[in-house]
Amino acid sequence: MFYYYLQLGLHSLKRNPLLTALMVFGIALGIGTSMTSLTVFYLMGSDPIPWKSDKLHVVQMDNWSVEQPYRTPNEPPDQVTYLDANALMQAGKADLQTAMFKLVWPLQPDNQDIKPFSSLGRATYTDFFAMFEPPFKYGGPWDRAQDKDHGRVVVLSSATNEKLFGGQDSSGKKVRLNEIDYTVVGVLDKWQPRVKFYDLTNGAFNDSEEYFVPFTTAIELQTQASGNNSCWDNPKPGWDGYLASECVWIQFWVQLNSTARKDEYLSFLNNYVGEQKKLGRFPRALNNRLPDVNEWIVDQGVVPSDAKIQVGLSFAFLIVCLVNTIGLLLAKFMRKSSEIGLRRALGATRGQLFSQHLIEAGVIGISGGLIGLFLTWLGLMAVRSLYKDLNSVAHMDWFMVLTAIALSVTAAVLAGLFPTWKACQITPATQLKTQ
Amino acid sequence: MEIRPILSALMRSKVALVLIGLQIALTLAIVCNSLFIISQRVQMMGRESGINEADTFTIGSLGFGAAFDIKTSIQEDVALLRSLPGVADATPTNTTPMSNGGWSTGINLTREQKTSTAPSAMYFVDEHGLNAFGAKLAEGRFFTADEITFRERSSVDWPPVIVITRALANKLFPDQSALGKQVYLDTEGNPNTIIGVVERMQVPWIGWSAEDGPDAEFYSTFVPQNVAFGNFGRYLVRTEPGRRDEVMKAAEAAMLKSNHSRIVREPRTIERIRAEGYQGHRAMTIILIGVIVSLLAVTALGIVGMASFWVTQRTKQIGTRRALGATRGSILRYFMTENFVITSLGLALGVLLTYGLNYWLMANYAAQRLPLVYLAGGIVVLMLLGQAAVFGPATRASRVPPAVATRSV
Amino acid sequence: MLKMKHLSKVYRTHLIETHALRDFSIHVREGEFVAVTGPSGSGKTTFLNIAGLLEEFSGGEFWVDGVDVRGMNDDQRSRLRNEKIGFIFQGFNLIPDLNLFDNVDVPLRYRGFSAADRKRRIEENLGRVGLASRMKHYPAELSGGQQQRVAIARALAGSPRLLLADEPTGNLDSLMARGVLELLEEINRQGTTIIMVTHDPELAARAHRNVHVIDGQVTDFDAEPQLRVPSGNATAAVA
Repeated sequence: MFYYYLQLGLHSLKRNPLLTALMVFGIALGIGTSMTSLTVFYLMGSDPIPWKSDKLHVVQMDNWSVEQPYRTPNEPPDQVTYLDANALMQAGKADLQTAMFKLVWPLQPDNQDIKPFSSLGRATYTDFFAMFEPPFKYGGPWDRAQDKDHGRVVVLSSATNEKLFGGQDSSGKKVRLNEIDYTVVGVLDKWQPRVKFYDLTNGAFNDSEEYFVPFTTAIELQTQASGNNSCWDNPKPGWDGYLASECVWIQFWVQLNSTARKDEYLSFLNNYVGEQKKLGRFPRALNNRLPDVNEWIVDQGVVPSDAKIQVGLSFAFLIVCLVNTIGLLLAKFMRKSSEIGLRRALGATRGQLFSQHLIEAGVIGISGGLIGLFLTWLGLMAVRSLYKDLNSVAHMDWFMVLTAIALSVTAAVLAGLFPTWKACQITPATQLKTQ
Repeated sequence: MEIRPILSALMRSKVALVLIGLQIALTLAIVCNSLFIISQRVQMMGRESGINEADTFTIGSLGFGAAFDIKTSIQEDVALLRSLPGVADATPTNTTPMSNGGWSTGINLTREQKTSTAPSAMYFVDEHGLNAFGAKLAEGRFFTADEITFRERSSVDWPPVIVITRALANKLFPDQSALGKQVYLDTEGNPNTIIGVVERMQVPWIGWSAEDGPDAEFYSTFVPQNVAFGNFGRYLVRTEPGRRDEVMKAAEAAMLKSNHSRIVREPRTIERIRAEGYQGHRAMTIILIGVIVSLLAVTALGIVGMASFWVTQRTKQIGTRRALGATRGSILRYFMTENFVITSLGLALGVLLTYGLNYWLMANYAAQRLPLVYLAGGIVVLMLLGQAAVFGPATRASRVPPAVATRSV
Repeated sequence: MLKMKHLSKVYRTHLIETHALRDFSIHVREGEFVAVTGPSGSGKTTFLNIAGLLEEFSGGEFWVDGVDVRGMNDDQRSRLRNEKIGFIFQGFNLIPDLNLFDNVDVPLRYRGFSAADRKRRIEENLGRVGLASRMKHYPAELSGGQQQRVAIARALAGSPRLLLADEPTGNLDSLMARGVLELLEEINRQGTTIIMVTHDPELAARAHRNVHVIDGQVTDFDAEPQLRVPSGNATAAVA
């Protein structure tokens, strides 16, 4: 029976190719637009590390001026001072923890054919690799002793390893960064989280690092962070004055494996700030926070309001397309009312006619959905060319493909329900009599 | 042609009326609000930064290692750049307008105040800064060579003289000249005297400090210092008109040759910096234009589809009207008027939806109230669209022969 | 009232020519009640369409109320139709979306009467067919006989000189048919010329004279009408 209905549906669609094209095109356009904006929106805001996003927390401590909050209404800074980063690392109260910052160093390859280039790096502790789980291709992270001893060691990204060593295992080889040689201990595999959630302060969609070096080494070398630096009080002169200042420029992340551990850590932080208050720091009221990855993505406004407006508008657009389809389907089915009356007279039940027309609507929905998927693909390509930094999020994944198909079929069937119901209200008698 | 019988006939097919009306209402709401957003973005993108954008570019340098002598490097580089043929002027600077990276500080009028009077972007330049950027001096003077110092890691004090923009001057000293007035970039440091006011200079961040009003994006301060820590040097070069691209290549080559213990970073034109800075706004504008065009297309096609259906469904009725003496013109007018009535009803609902959507945007995204002119424009556009869309089917209706009335089916 | 001389109507497709009417001549005088009869496909409906100015003809001459119809454009014919001719169709052809008042109003609108005049005419004519009390009803709420009465009221509302009826009782049962026929006779008595197309000989028998059409030609043309003496005080005018 399904096959018969399908045949009838296709036949009926072929009879009015223009009207059919209008309906399919309408749904496709609506699906294409809404899926494009929804994909970007979803990938921007979705969990980049779902298996442990609830265990990774940003440490926020409110060391800001008593006169005004870091951000209204009463938000603590998104980064911490060197003083506090150092103290928290020394205490080591979390399951895993790392202080880190963004840096830019010249990379001076041994190979004379490659000109020195300025390269993006990250100064961090070895726990970074256990916490954020970048995959290793060769070697592994440095060990904790290197953190303590300011080791001259480096972990390379796969792209940097490709550039410098042709993709060979480079463990044990030297890399020269800003006039100092570092020993390669590990090489990462391809790693580009959709959202660079571990450093939202310096751009949620920035490129990932070309190399990682120990935090303590970068500090010893008096490396100025190339990320955001905010001060509410002037630092004392010199590097030591800067390290002792209330300037925030370091991201601090902890891994806490249970909510009990999280509670413990928060009370540890509160105690710590309490002690510091006695020393005259932290003039504001206690305001420590430990947002997890997803809370952090919301808090830092990773999804821009333009993306939200686009999603809203594109769904309104989809509604217009659906209303349009309802109207056209209604027109189409009503035009067939004599045929429907005849079928009724020949013994078709309402249920049978209902299925027949719903299948016809479904065929339109699936065709519209498939073309809509193609339009989504085009749309995402357009988004990538319009927003250069959205490369990582303007891509289709299987989940979104299935969503698009489900959305279009649901939309078309919903749009088909009313016209179908209307068509089935036609009574056989009236149709045969008055012509 | 009177409207009442058309209206009463329409009331007999409410579903169709509701569908087309709803479609027109939603279209009006989306089109008006999108057009408003577009015009705001276009206005924003069209703002002048206050500098010469056509003939300027930046070029940067990153020295190797702790031993790198940044001070000498800055002085040599800037002298080299100024000596190149085709260069009108050059200055060291920490940043440029629209680059989305820079340094900001709060400005205070007294030593005692707890919160600053206005935020300001800091441009660290030498005595060539004004000329190199191509900014216009409105009052006073710019820096002299002997006022330029280095800002080192150990520097705490701000220099005794600064130059600010007119927007910032108006904010700090409304209704009086800022010239010669003293402010505090640091309440614990020396006062800073305003020796000049620049007509206009945009801050590096687009959409900066929106809570301080649109003028805040022009709260800029020139500081007579060269930033000499971190091995970074950045220069802004203005060329003779039309020679930018050629000079840009020459500058990169000359800098590469002059000093081998550093990297020369790829030069970037201010035009490119502007394009990248406004990328999001430009993208939003293009996307919204796409939405508007598709939406109008879908709505027009929907009207064509529905009107064709109605014409087909009412062929007999049209024939009867013709038999009863209707001319072709009156049949055409009937359908045009019918569309006018439907569109008007849809637009009436659309006005409510438009302001509903505007209210939602205001509540959630700090949008502004939609000016009436957009609503009026949207109504005219949709009215014309409806009439244009129905014209084809209505013409077809007017060609229905009257003899259809006597046909039995 | 209506005069056709050697009229012909040819339907052309790219393959064949069909002569729907050939050398068709008829003269209907004012006040007559003429029945046009003939088998299916004989050209009855074509004759009616041409008589009602719904279709153009291919050759010959044609006058309506002394006006030469040849060479008139579409708008002129529409206006002439609107002023002089009333129609009654087999399928009633009421507009389902309009109530009875608005249905009767349709031809009056095209005529451009004033609102008060239209209202008077609508009420008068709906009263004449016995449906004054149902002006706000819609066609679907009426029986077939009642619908045809509305159609008659609509045809009469513009005071036409000529009433064309196409199988006016074809869709009605015999009781209703009789009522409609009596109404038409009454209208004729009051002075309106009626041409009625029918294949029902019983119905045709009640007309003043019959015109029989076969194969697009008049086969039985009563040259001199036998006018019945009208009953009542209405007087038939002789053209």
